[in-house]
Amino acid sequence: MIPLSHFMLISAGLFCIGLYAVLTKRNAIQILIGIEFMINAAILNFVAFGKFDKFEGGGQMFALFAIVLAAAGVAVALAIILNVYKHFKTIDPAKIDTLKD
Amino acid sequence: METLNFSDSTLCIMSILMIVMPLLSFSAVLIRRTSGGNFAVFNISISFIISILIFLTVWNKNIVHEQLTWFSVGERQFTAGILLNNLSVLMMVLVSGISTLVHIYSLSYMKGDANINKYWAYLGLFCFSMLGLVISDSLLLIYLFWELVGFSSYLLIGFWFTKPAASQAAKKAFIMNRIGDIGFLCGIMIIYSQFQTLDIVKLFGEGGLVSSARIDDGLWISTTSQMPAIWLSIAGLALFTGAIAKSAQFPLHTWLPDAMEGPTSVSSLIHAATMVAAGVFLLGRVYPILDHFTLNVITAIGIITAFMAATIALTQNDIKRILAYSTISQLGFMIAAMGIGAYGESMFHLATHAFFKCLLFLAAGAVIHQLHHFKEQHQLDFDHQDIRRMGGLRKQMPVAFITMCIAAVSLAGLPFSSGYLSKDALLITSFEWAEGFHGVKKAVPYVLVLSSWMTVFYISRLIFKVFLGKSRFEGIHDPPSPMNRTLMVLAFCSIFILFSFNPFSYENSWLVQGFQDAGVLRLDPLHIVVPLAVNLVSVAIIYCAYIIYVRKDAKVFSDESFFYRFSNRAWYLNEAYTFLFTRPAESVSHFSYQFDKRVVDGIINFLGSVIRILSSISDWVDRRIVDGAINSVAELAKSIGNLSRKFQTGHLQHYLITMLTVVIAFFILNYFL
Repeated sequence: MIPLSHFMLISAGLFCIGLYAVLTKRNAIQILIGIEFMINAAILNFVAFGKFDKFEGGGQMFALFAIVLAAAGVAVALAIILNVYKHFKTIDPAKIDTLKD
Repeated sequence: METLNFSDSTLCIMSILMIVMPLLSFSAVLIRRTSGGNFAVFNISISFIISILIFLTVWNKNIVHEQLTWFSVGERQFTAGILLNNLSVLMMVLVSGISTLVHIYSLSYMKGDANINKYWAYLGLFCFSMLGLVISDSLLLIYLFWELVGFSSYLLIGFWFTKPAASQAAKKAFIMNRIGDIGFLCGIMIIYSQFQTLDIVKLFGEGGLVSSARIDDGLWISTTSQMPAIWLSIAGLALFTGAIAKSAQFPLHTWLPDAMEGPTSVSSLIHAATMVAAGVFLLGRVYPILDHFTLNVITAIGIITAFMAATIALTQNDIKRILAYSTISQLGFMIAAMGIGAYGESMFHLATHAFFKCLLFLAAGAVIHQLHHFKEQHQLDFDHQDIRRMGGLRKQMPVAFITMCIAAVSLAGLPFSSGYLSKDALLITSFEWAEGFHGVKKAVPYVLVLSSWMTVFYISRLIFKVFLGKSRFEGIHDPPSPMNRTLMVLAFCSIFILFSFNPFSYENSWLVQGFQDAGVLRLDPLHIVVPLAVNLVSVAIIYCAYIIYVRKDAKVFSDESFFYRFSNRAWYLNEAYTFLFTRPAESVSHFSYQFDKRVVDGIINFLGSVIRILSSISDWVDRRIVDGAINSVAELAKSIGNLSRKFQTGHLQHYLITMLTVVIAFFILNYFL
């Protein structure tokens, strides 16, 4: 049986990769991919902890919900990116700095 | 004359009108800024007419005295009012009459002067203050007008103020008069503290406070208070000091010759006829307070002045200076007469002198005026007041010659002139007075006679040098008719007829009879011997002068001799005053200037620099420490702001990094520290 720490390490690695992608990529789509990595790291944790839960299948249930919500979030995010592109003619977040005062 | 019967209050209103008329020309000329000559002449003529009316009403009748309360200090009341008695109405007619003539004369004499309106204004101010002085009934009022007279004299001496000599002379006259004014003021204060009033009638009238005060056991006791007896003499001397300065007596006489820098008409009116007589008038007013000691001092000063000024006049060459010293000498006669108690004779001489000296000046003014024009026409350059440059004007200026001769005869005291009456009155009274004494006082009449002979000599010299001898100018003629007519009127006033119908007896003169007599024993022989002797010698002197100056055109003393220089430089008194008073005063003021500059200014400057240092310290503290604290707080806030601004980049990823950092930092803090 695979111990819980392995899952945790993998999901931590996955989270870090996602985080790295979010912080460094020069493309909004890639940042979105990074976010997906981080969500999936969290979902992996849900499933792994669900195996040790005394209520059978709780973790999987949460994972399913989270996947659905992530998909919805991605849809919204892509729509935003599409509008950003229409507005700024770019999706490089380094070039969009109108949040500055 | 009998029809003139004005009531007292009418007389007072008339006299106020009389003194206000000249003031009117003063103010009107200043306001309207026109030349105003005719207006001024009109005003002073009105004054003159009124004064004659008053004179005819008051002379030898009751004294008119009206007064009202002027102001009060606490319980004490000061009154102001009008006092008309023989003395004041005589002076009033004299002043306004001569002023009128001088005004008319000035119409021609001052014609074309750039500041002519000021001239009329000043002249009006002078007439106002002189007439006010004459009719005032209180010593305080007299003092007030006394100062005003001095002030207007100052203005008129310095009338041509662009000439340095004129402005210097004006200052000199003013300052010397101040010395006398201080004396006068001291006298007033002493009298006030003794009698608590300054009313002339109450003080000096019949049975007044002064005559009822007595000297007892070294104390001077009045009805209200007492003080040591010495104060009586001091009060008399203090009042006399005022008279010394105003009437140009030794030792304060040096301002009068310098005052000749003013226009000649002014010299004639103010510095010969009227203002300088104010000192004699004052002595006449306060006569009862003068005790024996004071009277002796007055006599001494009078004869010293008469003698000294006569010797100086012998050698002067400026026509106006000769007349100025002559005026001083004649004033000395009057003062000496006051000193010996010849009150009426002194006033008589004052009146006759006013006319003939005014005439002498105006005739001299005519000569100067014509010579000045001649000089300008022919573009010559010479001193037109120097008698050595004149000569032979008899033919060209007959009116000036004849009128001046009459005045000179009057000044010399020859028969049929007014001067004969008054001068012989003085001399005879002085001889009669001296009979009662032994010793030094015996010399008084002889000094006066000697001075009188010198008078004869210098006035002959003047006439001969100016009018006789070789003629040096062609084409000079008599001045315009207003000037000529003035001279003629004055010449008429200088002969005996105006004062007495008997040309040989002064005692018949209405003027002498109007005053109390000297109270000396009448000695009949003197009334014949003195005039006879004096006049015979006078005629001899005139003949000598004629020989010397006309026939031989010679000099009496060489220019180098000691006596000549001593006399020509006016006894070196100006130099002595410069050495004794001006120089020490200058060095004292120089010392105090240096003291002020070095010590006082030094202390102030030192304090100033101390304060500057202190303030720069506090400036530094304020700037660096107080402001520094405030500024450093602001700087801190600013740098924090700048720091936090850097996080606000607008880049999404930077925000995320920041968030991450914060979260990690929170964890590190929470779990590892």
